[in-house]
Amino acid sequence: MNEEEKAPPPTREYPPIYEMVVPIALAVIVVVVVVLLLIIVGVALGLIGG
Amino acid sequence: MNVWVPLLASITSFIFAFFVFRRYLARRGPHLLLWGIGMVFYGIGGFCEAYFGAFGWNPLIFRLWYLFGAILVAAWLGQGTVYLLAKRKWADTLMVILGLASIYGAIRVFSAELDPGLMTSGLHTGSELSGHAIITPGVRTLTPFFNLYGTVTLVGGALYSAWIFWRKRVLLHRTIGNILIAVGATLPAFGGAFSRFGIAGALYWGELLGAILIFIGFLRATTPMGTPLLRRAAAPVSET
Repeated sequence: MNEEEKAPPPTREYPPIYEMVVPIALAVIVVVVVVLLLIIVGVALGLIGG
Repeated sequence: MNVWVPLLASITSFIFAFFVFRRYLARRGPHLLLWGIGMVFYGIGGFCEAYFGAFGWNPLIFRLWYLFGAILVAAWLGQGTVYLLAKRKWADTLMVILGLASIYGAIRVFSAELDPGLMTSGLHTGSELSGHAIITPGVRTLTPFFNLYGTVTLVGGALYSAWIFWRKRVLLHRTIGNILIAVGATLPAFGGAFSRFGIAGALYWGELLGAILIFIGFLRATTPMGTPLLRRAAAPVSET
Protein backbone atom coordinates (compact mmCIF):
# COMPACT_ATOMS: atom_id res chain seq x y z
CA MET A 1 0.00 0.00 0.00
CA ASN A 2 1.17 3.40 -0.78
CA GLU A 3 0.72 5.62 2.23
CA GLU A 4 1.79 8.71 0.43
CA GLU A 5 -0.72 11.48 0.85
CA LYS A 6 -1.39 13.89 -1.94
CA ALA A 7 -2.83 17.33 -1.35
CA PRO A 8 -4.71 18.38 -4.48
CA PRO A 9 -4.49 22.01 -5.47
CA PRO A 10 -6.99 24.17 -3.62
CA THR A 11 -10.19 24.82 -5.47
CA ARG A 12 -11.78 28.22 -5.54
CA GLU A 13 -15.17 29.20 -4.29
CA TYR A 14 -17.28 32.25 -4.78
CA PRO A 15 -18.78 33.85 -1.67
CA PRO A 16 -21.67 31.63 -0.44
CA ILE A 17 -24.48 33.86 -1.70
CA TYR A 18 -23.09 33.75 -5.23
CA GLU A 19 -22.47 30.01 -5.01
CA MET A 20 -26.21 29.67 -4.47
CA VAL A 21 -27.57 32.43 -6.70
CA VAL A 22 -25.45 32.07 -9.85
CA PRO A 23 -26.53 28.54 -10.92
CA ILE A 24 -30.18 29.34 -10.16
CA ALA A 25 -29.96 32.54 -12.19
CA LEU A 26 -28.29 30.75 -15.09
CA ALA A 27 -30.95 28.02 -15.10
CA VAL A 28 -33.81 30.54 -14.97
CA ILE A 29 -32.35 32.62 -17.80
CA VAL A 30 -31.87 29.52 -19.97
CA VAL A 31 -35.56 28.64 -19.52
CA VAL A 32 -36.57 32.23 -20.26
CA VAL A 33 -34.41 32.34 -23.38
CA VAL A 34 -35.87 29.07 -24.67
CA VAL A 35 -39.37 30.55 -24.27
CA LEU A 36 -38.20 33.72 -26.02
CA LEU A 37 -36.72 31.77 -28.91
CA LEU A 38 -39.95 29.81 -29.28
CA ILE A 39 -41.85 33.11 -29.47
CA ILE A 40 -39.44 34.46 -32.10
CA VAL A 41 -39.72 31.28 -34.15
CA GLY A 42 -43.50 31.46 -33.77
CA VAL A 43 -43.47 35.01 -35.11
CA ALA A 44 -41.17 34.00 -37.97
CA LEU A 45 -43.51 31.16 -38.92
CA GLY A 46 -46.55 33.41 -38.65
CA LEU A 47 -48.02 31.40 -35.77
CA ILE A 48 -47.95 34.42 -33.44
CA GLY A 49 -49.42 37.64 -34.69
CA GLY A 50 -50.62 40.67 -32.84
CA MET B 1 -45.00 57.85 -20.53
CA ASN B 2 -44.60 57.25 -24.28
CA VAL B 3 -42.08 60.08 -24.40
CA TRP B 4 -39.94 59.96 -21.31
CA VAL B 5 -39.56 56.18 -21.03
CA PRO B 6 -38.05 55.74 -24.53
CA LEU B 7 -36.18 59.04 -24.13
CA LEU B 8 -34.53 57.71 -20.97
CA ALA B 9 -33.72 54.47 -22.79
CA SER B 10 -32.18 56.50 -25.61
CA ILE B 11 -30.08 58.67 -23.28
CA THR B 12 -28.93 55.58 -21.34
CA SER B 13 -27.97 53.89 -24.60
CA PHE B 14 -25.97 56.84 -25.90
CA ILE B 15 -24.13 57.22 -22.58
CA PHE B 16 -23.44 53.48 -22.63
CA ALA B 17 -22.19 53.75 -26.23
CA PHE B 18 -19.82 56.53 -25.14
CA PHE B 19 -18.36 54.26 -22.44
CA VAL B 20 -17.95 51.39 -24.91
CA PHE B 21 -16.32 53.56 -27.58
CA ARG B 22 -13.97 55.03 -24.99
CA ARG B 23 -12.96 51.52 -24.00
CA TYR B 24 -12.56 50.64 -27.68
CA LEU B 25 -10.18 53.55 -28.21
CA ALA B 26 -8.12 52.43 -25.23
CA ARG B 27 -8.08 48.69 -25.90
CA ARG B 28 -9.27 48.16 -29.48
CA GLY B 29 -11.07 44.93 -30.32
CA PRO B 30 -13.88 44.66 -32.88
CA HIS B 31 -16.31 43.39 -30.22
CA LEU B 32 -16.18 46.76 -28.46
CA LEU B 33 -16.66 48.64 -31.73
CA LEU B 34 -19.72 46.53 -32.61
CA TRP B 35 -21.20 46.82 -29.13
CA GLY B 36 -20.75 50.60 -29.36
CA ILE B 37 -22.45 50.69 -32.76
CA GLY B 38 -25.20 48.43 -31.42
CA MET B 39 -25.86 50.76 -28.52
CA VAL B 40 -26.02 53.74 -30.91
CA PHE B 41 -28.68 51.79 -32.83
CA TYR B 42 -30.46 51.21 -29.49
CA GLY B 43 -30.33 54.92 -28.79
CA ILE B 44 -31.67 55.82 -32.23
CA GLY B 45 -34.58 53.45 -31.71
CA GLY B 46 -35.44 55.00 -28.36
CA PHE B 47 -35.14 58.53 -29.75
CA CYS B 48 -37.54 57.71 -32.59
CA GLU B 49 -40.06 56.30 -30.13
CA ALA B 50 -39.82 59.42 -27.98
CA TYR B 51 -40.19 61.61 -31.09
CA PHE B 52 -43.34 59.73 -32.08
CA GLY B 53 -44.72 60.08 -28.56
CA ALA B 54 -44.04 63.82 -28.52
CA PHE B 55 -44.75 64.96 -32.08
CA GLY B 56 -46.68 62.13 -33.73
CA TRP B 57 -46.23 60.30 -37.00
CA ASN B 58 -43.29 60.96 -39.28
CA PRO B 59 -42.40 58.45 -42.00
CA LEU B 60 -38.63 59.05 -41.79
CA ILE B 61 -38.66 58.62 -38.01
CA PHE B 62 -40.69 55.43 -38.40
CA ARG B 63 -38.29 53.99 -40.97
CA LEU B 64 -35.27 54.84 -38.79
CA TRP B 65 -37.00 53.26 -35.79
CA TYR B 66 -37.90 50.09 -37.62
CA LEU B 67 -34.47 49.67 -39.21
CA PHE B 68 -32.28 50.45 -36.19
CA GLY B 69 -34.59 49.76 -33.27
CA ALA B 70 -36.53 46.73 -34.49
CA ILE B 71 -34.28 45.00 -37.02
CA LEU B 72 -30.59 45.73 -36.47
CA VAL B 73 -29.89 46.44 -32.81
CA ALA B 74 -29.88 42.93 -31.33
CA ALA B 75 -28.03 41.40 -34.27
CA TRP B 76 -25.23 43.99 -34.19
CA LEU B 77 -24.81 43.70 -30.42
CA GLY B 78 -24.73 39.93 -30.83
CA GLN B 79 -22.14 40.23 -33.58
CA GLY B 80 -19.88 41.95 -31.06
CA THR B 81 -20.19 38.91 -28.82
CA VAL B 82 -19.40 36.68 -31.79
CA TYR B 83 -16.13 38.58 -32.26
CA LEU B 84 -15.39 38.12 -28.58
CA LEU B 85 -16.03 34.38 -28.42
CA ALA B 86 -15.73 32.86 -31.88
CA LYS B 87 -12.74 32.33 -34.12
CA ARG B 88 -11.87 35.42 -36.11
CA LYS B 89 -12.49 33.71 -39.45
CA TRP B 90 -16.03 32.73 -38.44
CA ALA B 91 -16.71 36.14 -36.97
CA ASP B 92 -15.53 37.86 -40.16
CA THR B 93 -17.72 35.60 -42.30
CA LEU B 94 -20.78 36.25 -40.15
CA MET B 95 -19.98 39.97 -40.18
CA VAL B 96 -20.04 40.03 -43.98
CA ILE B 97 -23.38 38.20 -44.00
CA LEU B 98 -24.80 40.54 -41.35
CA GLY B 99 -23.51 43.59 -43.22
CA LEU B 100 -25.13 42.50 -46.49
CA ALA B 101 -28.34 41.52 -44.71
CA SER B 102 -28.40 44.92 -42.99
CA ILE B 103 -28.03 46.74 -46.31
CA TYR B 104 -30.83 44.61 -47.76
CA GLY B 105 -32.97 45.36 -44.70
CA ALA B 106 -32.30 49.10 -45.05
CA ILE B 107 -33.32 49.05 -48.72
CA ARG B 108 -36.52 47.15 -47.91
CA VAL B 109 -37.44 49.41 -44.99
CA PHE B 110 -36.80 52.65 -46.86
CA SER B 111 -38.73 51.51 -49.92
CA ALA B 112 -41.68 50.07 -48.00
CA GLU B 113 -45.17 51.52 -48.21
CA LEU B 114 -46.47 52.76 -44.88
CA ASP B 115 -49.88 53.36 -43.37
CA PRO B 116 -49.81 54.69 -39.78
CA GLY B 117 -53.51 53.94 -39.43
CA LEU B 118 -52.65 50.26 -39.31
CA MET B 119 -50.81 50.75 -36.00
CA THR B 120 -54.18 50.90 -34.30
CA SER B 121 -55.29 47.60 -35.78
CA GLY B 122 -55.67 44.39 -33.81
CA LEU B 123 -54.49 44.58 -30.24
CA HIS B 124 -52.48 47.76 -30.69
CA THR B 125 -53.70 51.13 -29.53
CA GLY B 126 -51.43 53.20 -31.76
CA SER B 127 -49.84 54.92 -28.77
CA GLU B 128 -46.55 53.12 -29.49
CA LEU B 129 -44.71 52.61 -32.73
CA SER B 130 -45.51 49.28 -34.31
CA GLY B 131 -44.37 47.43 -37.41
CA HIS B 132 -48.02 47.05 -38.36
CA ALA B 133 -47.66 50.36 -40.22
CA ILE B 134 -45.66 48.59 -42.94
CA ILE B 135 -47.90 47.57 -45.83
CA THR B 136 -45.30 46.06 -48.17
CA PRO B 137 -45.17 42.31 -47.65
CA GLY B 138 -41.90 40.64 -46.71
CA VAL B 139 -40.41 43.56 -44.75
CA ARG B 140 -41.65 42.56 -41.30
CA THR B 141 -40.70 38.98 -42.05
CA LEU B 142 -37.04 40.01 -41.89
CA THR B 143 -37.19 41.07 -38.24
CA PRO B 144 -37.44 37.67 -36.49
CA PHE B 145 -34.40 36.37 -38.34
CA PHE B 146 -32.23 39.28 -37.21
CA ASN B 147 -33.62 39.00 -33.68
CA LEU B 148 -33.10 35.25 -33.58
CA TYR B 149 -29.45 35.74 -34.50
CA GLY B 150 -29.11 38.59 -32.02
CA THR B 151 -30.72 36.70 -29.15
CA VAL B 152 -28.75 33.52 -29.70
CA THR B 153 -25.41 35.33 -29.98
CA LEU B 154 -25.85 38.12 -27.42
CA VAL B 155 -27.75 36.28 -24.71
CA GLY B 156 -26.20 32.91 -25.51
CA GLY B 157 -22.72 34.42 -25.48
CA ALA B 158 -23.29 36.16 -22.16
CA LEU B 159 -24.69 32.96 -20.61
CA TYR B 160 -21.81 30.91 -21.99
CA SER B 161 -19.26 33.35 -20.57
CA ALA B 162 -21.00 33.44 -17.18
CA TRP B 163 -21.08 29.64 -17.12
CA ILE B 164 -17.37 29.35 -17.94
CA PHE B 165 -16.37 31.86 -15.25
CA TRP B 166 -18.67 30.22 -12.71
CA ARG B 167 -17.41 26.70 -13.46
CA LYS B 168 -13.82 27.85 -12.98
CA ARG B 169 -14.81 30.04 -10.02
CA VAL B 170 -12.83 32.96 -11.39
CA LEU B 171 -13.58 36.61 -12.12
CA LEU B 172 -16.81 36.87 -10.14
CA HIS B 173 -17.43 40.37 -11.50
CA ARG B 174 -17.58 38.95 -15.02
CA THR B 175 -19.96 36.19 -13.97
CA ILE B 176 -22.33 38.75 -12.46
CA GLY B 177 -21.86 41.18 -15.33
CA ASN B 178 -22.66 38.58 -17.96
CA ILE B 179 -25.77 37.43 -16.10
CA LEU B 180 -27.01 41.02 -15.97
CA ILE B 181 -26.25 41.46 -19.68
CA ALA B 182 -28.14 38.24 -20.50
CA VAL B 183 -31.18 39.34 -18.48
CA GLY B 184 -31.06 42.86 -19.90
CA ALA B 185 -30.84 41.58 -23.46
CA THR B 186 -33.99 39.49 -23.09
CA LEU B 187 -36.11 42.33 -21.70
CA PRO B 188 -36.65 44.30 -24.95
CA ALA B 189 -37.51 41.07 -26.75
CA PHE B 190 -40.05 40.17 -24.07
CA GLY B 191 -41.34 43.73 -24.14
CA GLY B 192 -41.89 43.35 -27.87
CA ALA B 193 -43.63 40.01 -27.35
CA PHE B 194 -45.95 41.44 -24.68
CA SER B 195 -46.59 44.44 -26.91
CA ARG B 196 -47.75 42.04 -29.63
CA PHE B 197 -50.25 40.70 -27.15
CA GLY B 198 -51.59 44.21 -26.56
CA ILE B 199 -49.93 45.17 -23.26
CA ALA B 200 -49.44 48.93 -23.52
CA GLY B 201 -46.02 50.24 -22.58
CA ALA B 202 -44.41 46.80 -22.43
CA LEU B 203 -42.03 47.43 -25.32
CA TYR B 204 -40.79 50.81 -24.08
CA TRP B 205 -40.36 49.65 -20.49
CA GLY B 206 -38.60 46.51 -21.68
CA GLU B 207 -36.20 48.62 -23.70
CA LEU B 208 -35.50 51.03 -20.84
CA LEU B 209 -34.91 48.34 -18.24
CA GLY B 210 -32.93 46.32 -20.77
CA ALA B 211 -30.61 49.23 -21.56
CA ILE B 212 -30.07 49.94 -17.86
CA LEU B 213 -29.34 46.30 -17.01
CA ILE B 214 -26.98 45.77 -19.95
CA PHE B 215 -25.18 48.99 -19.00
CA ILE B 216 -24.83 47.92 -15.36
CA GLY B 217 -23.74 44.46 -16.52
CA PHE B 218 -21.07 45.96 -18.76
CA LEU B 219 -19.77 48.18 -15.96
CA ARG B 220 -19.82 45.23 -13.54
CA ALA B 221 -18.03 42.94 -15.99
CA THR B 222 -15.31 45.50 -16.65
CA THR B 223 -14.78 46.50 -13.01
CA PRO B 224 -12.99 43.95 -10.80
CA MET B 225 -14.54 43.43 -7.37
CA GLY B 226 -12.60 44.13 -4.24
CA THR B 227 -13.84 40.98 -2.48
CA PRO B 228 -11.30 38.21 -2.88
CA LEU B 229 -12.56 34.80 -3.85
CA LEU B 230 -12.69 32.30 -1.05
CA ARG B 231 -10.32 29.42 -1.33
CA ARG B 232 -11.35 26.00 -0.20
CA ALA B 233 -8.49 23.64 0.53
CA ALA B 234 -9.67 20.18 -0.39
CA ALA B 235 -9.09 17.44 2.17
CA PRO B 236 -5.96 15.43 1.50
CA VAL B 237 -6.69 12.27 -0.40
CA SER B 238 -4.94 9.09 0.56
CA GLU B 239 -3.83 7.09 -2.41
CA THR B 240 -3.65 3.35 -1.95
